[in-house]
Amino acid sequence: MADAEKGFEPKIIAFCCNWCSYAGADLAGSMRLKYPPNVLPIRVMCSGRISPHFILKAFQKGADGVLVTGCHYGDCHYIKGNYITKRRVTVMKDLLKFVGIDPRRLKSEWIAGSEGDKFARVATEFTEEIRALGPSPLRG
Amino acid sequence: MDKLKNHVKELLESGEIAGFLGLIDDGGHPVPYLFTKEHLDRLDAMVVPDFRYPMTDILLRIVRKYPEETIGVMVRGCDDRALVELAKNQRIFPELVRPVGIACTKEMAEACRCSQPYPREIHYGEKVEGVNDRSDLAAVESKPLDERLDYWMGQFSKCIKCYGCRNICSMCFCDQCTLEDETLIMTGQSPPEIPIFHLIRAFHMAGRCIDCGLCEEACPAHIPLRSLYRKVREDMADYFGYVTGMDESEKDPLEFLGSEGYEVPSKIDET
Ligand code: SF4
Ligand code: SF4
Ligand code: SF4
Ligand code: FES
Repeated sequence: MADAEKGFEPKIIAFCCNWCSYAGADLAGSMRLKYPPNVLPIRVMCSGRISPHFILKAFQKGADGVLVTGCHYGDCHYIKGNYITKRRVTVMKDLLKFVGIDPRRLKSEWIAGSEGDKFARVATEFTEEIRALGPSPLRG
Repeated sequence: MDKLKNHVKELLESGEIAGFLGLIDDGGHPVPYLFTKEHLDRLDAMVVPDFRYPMTDILLRIVRKYPEETIGVMVRGCDDRALVELAKNQRIFPELVRPVGIACTKEMAEACRCSQPYPREIHYGEKVEGVNDRSDLAAVESKPLDERLDYWMGQFSKCIKCYGCRNICSMCFCDQCTLEDETLIMTGQSPPEIPIFHLIRAFHMAGRCIDCGLCEEACPAHIPLRSLYRKVREDMADYFGYVTGMDESEKDPLEFLGSEGYEVPSKIDET
């Protein structure tokens, strides 16, 4: 990456569902597992509540990466919200790519409430991935 | 043409339909007109021009006003696909709408780059093969990502936020439009926020757009909007085998899970 991007700190929005991944994020905290401060969790009731608009708005407002997280398949508290989420994210990635936004900037992961370590790992890895990609071209 | 007029006349006379939404010649211009039993003579002036006039928006107004009546409507392939989607989305009761189908000419199909220039049932015109051409998508996809973004941001920056693309679209029937929702997008200013303004609409069109191309025709800024919607349309077909406008009983996979195959089949290549 170019010199201008040295010292670049990615801004990452992580949408987390109340029942699993947010609990996972919480657990990561109480286990004192480190994950980068670049990741800002936003709690929603279900990953199915993560409207595609939220993702677009995050990018519009300058997020370098968006992490969409929810319960594992079979664990969604609203039964199957996460399947719909996965479908939306899949189409959204293609649309982003079509207009020239690297689809790797959007990622979905399933994280259980007991997986504090997974949350920390996903957050860390994603932050590194985004760091390598550099700032979002939409950042003003 | 006489056969068509007679067909409509019979539908009206027999009381099968209470009105027929078609086009009438008004001083050399075809304009929409609701033909009724009381004025059957007006059918003499009914016309089928060799260009389109989108019908379903007008139909929706009539249906709202006369919710109990059965209404006939002249449909081309695109109008008919719109009817299928309107039925799926509970905007019309299909049993209260009687489409009278017009097949488009080869010239029209080419001008519209239309993949299916004919309705489910044809009452007028000869069916011609559709045009299947994804060169517009391929042209975008041949560019590296950074050039693509430059290209699209250049296009989007021409937008004057006239809402023409939304207003002309037969699939934009929502009571509240996200493009005017201040919690999701900057409102009350022009030009709009880009790319979100155009991407919100594009994402909405996944599982909705019937690929009529009216939006792009209507756009005063000549933004190649249709390619965006064709892209998500292609995705819906590739991932889920879902094509809009074909079958009223199918459900949008982004809204309904269906009974099997919840998982997204993979196609994505990530770079
Ligand atoms: S989009 Fe297709 S069906 Fe509609 S007017 Fe054009 S050619 Fe006819
Ligand atoms: S092509 Fe444009 S006007 Fe036609 S259905 Fe799709 S978005 Fe609407
Ligand atoms: S029709 Fe064109 S200029 Fe008007 S709002 Fe849509 S994209 Fe913008
Ligand atoms: S409640 Fe966690 S994904 Fe639905």
